[in-house]
Amino acid sequence: MSTSTVSTPAAAPPVEQRSALAPLGKPFAAVGGVLGIVAALLPWVTFGLKDGNWPDKSTLQFFDAPFAVTGFRWHVLLLGVLILVAAFAPVPSKGRVVRALGWGLAVVSFINGAYITVKGGGLGAITALDGDVAFGSIVGLVGGVLAILAGYGIGIELPGQWKVKLSTPVAYLVLLVSFAAVLYAVAAMLTTGGVGTSNPYAGAIFLSFLGFAGGVLAALSGVGFIRWLSVLSEEHRVFSVIVLAACALLLPFTEAGNEYWMTVAANIGIYAATAIGLNIVVGLAGLLDLGYVAFMGIGALVAANFSGAATAHFGITLPFPVAAVIAGVVAGIFGAIVGSPTLRVRGDYLAIVTLAFGEIFTRSAQNDIGGITNGSNAIPGIPPLSLFGAEFNKSFSIGAVKLPAGVLYYILIVLLVAATMAVFANLKFSRIGRAWIAIREDEDAARAMGIQTGKKKILAFLIGATLAGLAGAVFAHKNGTVSYESFKFMESVTLLAAVILGGMGSIPGAVLGAALLFVLPEKLREFEEYRLMIFGLALIVIMRFRPQGLIPDRHRRAELADEDVGGVPVDEVHEVPKEAKA
Amino acid sequence: MSTPVLEARDVSMVFGGLKALKGVTLTLDEGKIVGLIGPNGAGKTTFFNCLTGLYQPTTGQVLLKGKELPGDPAHVTKAGVARTFQNIRLFPSMTVLENVLVGRHSRMKQGPLASLFHGPAYQRGERAARERSRELLAFVGLNNLDDELSRNLPYGDQRRLEIARALATDPAVLLLDEPTAGMNPQETEATQQLIFRIRETGVSVVVIEHDIKFIFGLCDSVSVLVQGELLVEGSPETVRADPRVVEAYLGKPPEEVQHDVEAAAASAEEEQA
Repeated sequence: MSTSTVSTPAAAPPVEQRSALAPLGKPFAAVGGVLGIVAALLPWVTFGLKDGNWPDKSTLQFFDAPFAVTGFRWHVLLLGVLILVAAFAPVPSKGRVVRALGWGLAVVSFINGAYITVKGGGLGAITALDGDVAFGSIVGLVGGVLAILAGYGIGIELPGQWKVKLSTPVAYLVLLVSFAAVLYAVAAMLTTGGVGTSNPYAGAIFLSFLGFAGGVLAALSGVGFIRWLSVLSEEHRVFSVIVLAACALLLPFTEAGNEYWMTVAANIGIYAATAIGLNIVVGLAGLLDLGYVAFMGIGALVAANFSGAATAHFGITLPFPVAAVIAGVVAGIFGAIVGSPTLRVRGDYLAIVTLAFGEIFTRSAQNDIGGITNGSNAIPGIPPLSLFGAEFNKSFSIGAVKLPAGVLYYILIVLLVAATMAVFANLKFSRIGRAWIAIREDEDAARAMGIQTGKKKILAFLIGATLAGLAGAVFAHKNGTVSYESFKFMESVTLLAAVILGGMGSIPGAVLGAALLFVLPEKLREFEEYRLMIFGLALIVIMRFRPQGLIPDRHRRAELADEDVGGVPVDEVHEVPKEAKA
Repeated sequence: MSTPVLEARDVSMVFGGLKALKGVTLTLDEGKIVGLIGPNGAGKTTFFNCLTGLYQPTTGQVLLKGKELPGDPAHVTKAGVARTFQNIRLFPSMTVLENVLVGRHSRMKQGPLASLFHGPAYQRGERAARERSRELLAFVGLNNLDDELSRNLPYGDQRRLEIARALATDPAVLLLDEPTAGMNPQETEATQQLIFRIRETGVSVVVIEHDIKFIFGLCDSVSVLVQGELLVEGSPETVRADPRVVEAYLGKPPEEVQHDVEAAAASAEEEQA
């Protein structure tokens, strides 16, 4: 979506980008911002819908409580104010920021407006009907579009670059506040619209919140804050990790601290850990694996059979840590076996081999080949984990604070994800990780550098599969049932999508990708049959506008900023005439 | 006479019905620079691929210090033969320093467990590798570019980075495939000086190049490869004087060529006017 070209100095916007919109930039932004503020105070619906009034008092309420706006109207107000601020304050990369905020405003307005229209049965619901007027969504949408145009008019420059150096205590404070904000945003994202289907408008409210959050994040990234923060957190890596872990452990104490969201968060965590393992194979070593969830299935089956469940087959009950290690090892061995064809096949062909392996796993588990899966009867009744008599699926209290049920699983899984992250990060920045990336970039050159590519590729499969096996072991106990149904091709594809969506080779990316892919369907439940369609559309939109993933790896991020290097593009140098040399 | 550092004996390479190399023999003595020239399609790069184990020669042997080289590029590199590629093959999304560190791969010991836990021994090895890599980057003249992505380097710097990466494998023999392709005269001159300095560090060099002037100014001996066969071998003076070389390159007697060149120059002038 960036229109900037190679080798333009970052400071001055290139002339050709200043289109006919240029003189209208600031006025448009001003009008857009004002319209946003006005829209927030206008009514949005002309009558009470049949599922109840549109939330946040936006039915037929007009300027009645300008200081008490809530929900999406508060988001719209905030976006309007931010657009005005961005238009007139000295903000780096002004055009980019205004455009991002404009998109946020337009999306929030559009989603609410479209949803009201559909639910209310016609445009009357968002315009004028029976003498009542409610132009909120239209005004907001116009404001948003104006701000987007204003962004192009002002000129889309490279994201701002901050050179601010902070003393350590201040840096710690900034990181602390930022991560607390992240925690707040995560809790808000989980809880907006309520739990499950308790609120008839939960899906729309959630999408609207995503629009707002996306707009603000894009604006922050445009200002250069996000990159600055990530550099800062890399400088204070240990502190950042501790704070992040603390934030994750604090989630049960926020609004999201109930059984429902603990369960969802724990599920996300299991898939996030698996996605990080897949990220080693796909993101680092560049080996496309379409049957990866099978390793998680193998881990889950092994753990289930050692768990002492009534239908387990091994006849011995092992303590969870031992069973988990065995699950990891067995999955790892299968990983190495599946990886061995990589010595001979590359690219697309490898993808087919892994696809076939995934299918073999599902079918043999379904038909109980080997007699350890119980086929379609699954292995039910796996006992929950317990530690010092505290069962992991029961609620739990520390002193006077009563924590929701499932919180112990949540904590276990946070630790699992943290351990997986550590494995990934340490491997990535090591001799082995460099070898993997070299193989991904150019296999022949990697071999010419003394890398035994076959061994390294099998190692990637082995480690990735081991991590998946561990996650599978936790999965078995947490869900209580292991069935082949949980490890089908669709799950492999979703995991792969999580990795690509989040950003290949990036750790926070894999977590965010897994979170989105497993929260979105949950949140979109009320759209029923349209759920997966909306989900698919969202994926297409994200990949169209952010092909490098939501939180790209440092290298891929740098790829987008290669304009500021000032080097001559390689392609031009190739054209040196032959006579010049002789 | 001491054993040559690199020796190719009677190397042939057949692809299906195509004989790309027909019994090529080449000897590289320690501390020497040997040039390999020949028209396009003569089999120079195929020969390099045979030397580095990327291809298995159909017949013939390649010996490093009298010992036969293993038939796998990774092991060949470990044994002490490093190479660069005709069309630069860096790892584009890795930084400059990381590219050189990949070159250190075969000289580092850390296995998967050490890489997982980053213990003290790991840290020492990693530091040493970084230090050595920075030295090599300084040696080829790429200072203060450590964290730049290699894809962003200008063309000449990419060539030099590829040489630094090859040197990071601590080779006894360095094979350079057209190191000055696409360079201007100043860069070519700098590359020549760089190759001399590499030789001073005790590395023997084989260079493929189209630029005859560059080869004759650089090499201790030159081999001419034509249609997979070794045509002439000898000192630059001998090779330069050999009429077969000129013929092989240009395919016409020298007078006609002279005529053609003049005609081309004349037409170029016309265009300018």
